[in-house]
Amino acid sequence: MFRIYPKILMILACASMAAMAVGQYAIWFHAPEEATMGLVQKVFYFHLPLAWWSFVAFFGVCAASAMVLWTGREHWDVLAGVLAEIGVLFSGLALVTGSIWGRAAWNTWWTWDPRLSTTLVMWFVYAGYLVLRSADVGGGKGAKVRAVLGIVAFLDVPLVFLSARLWRSIHPAVLASRGGGLEPEMWTAVWINVLAWGALFGTLVLARYHGAGLKRRVEAALIRIQEKTLQ
Amino acid sequence: MGMNYLFIANVCIWLGVGGYVLFLARQHSVLERRVRQLEIIDAEE
Repeated sequence: MFRIYPKILMILACASMAAMAVGQYAIWFHAPEEATMGLVQKVFYFHLPLAWWSFVAFFGVCAASAMVLWTGREHWDVLAGVLAEIGVLFSGLALVTGSIWGRAAWNTWWTWDPRLSTTLVMWFVYAGYLVLRSADVGGGKGAKVRAVLGIVAFLDVPLVFLSARLWRSIHPAVLASRGGGLEPEMWTAVWINVLAWGALFGTLVLARYHGAGLKRRVEAALIRIQEKTLQ
Repeated sequence: MGMNYLFIANVCIWLGVGGYVLFLARQHSVLERRVRQLEIIDAEE
């Protein structure tokens, strides 16, 4: 396991808090109110970074799973689990905020649109992956089984990204059209928030990984004590 | 009306992130306490 030092975690947590504060300032004071949708459009500044960082997390699960198969090292398996957990949290929040925004903009909480449907499928796939991880599937070959699942699960992610471009979708593809219909100040707020959520994402990943390391130390100490007791 | 939806979305986001951070903090404090206890027992034996 890589060692994560609590002091580094503390510095990262403070940096991500400061970045989030700047992000909030950009949303509420810098970005102008959108002419058609009004204030509710500001949900976009949370919704987009959450969705993008969940894609990064799931790509990370796939990459870490490939490293498990290649190197057989345990820490890649732990990292894959950590990234999947935070990816499920972020994509879940993206789905919830999208649904609330949809209610305001499209007058419906949910519609079986290609982008929404593929995102929901992606969420269930990774939630299922987490359930399988906690069930300790595969016995002695568990890490390899989890790695294969982590790679196969990623098949849906490019589909989510391309769904709004490939099929008729009411969900806008923000990067598909130049400028995405946003004012330059709005783009500034978007990028500041993408970076701020990225900082929070990195902090959460390291904190969760640190927790996994502590859990391993507890298990190792228990085994040592048990061995000493039996001698 | 749009303001209500914006408020609900914000509540959901901060409850989600805050809840997860609290879960991590609690898990870390429990595990750190357990590590310390086990290290003391391990040293005694």
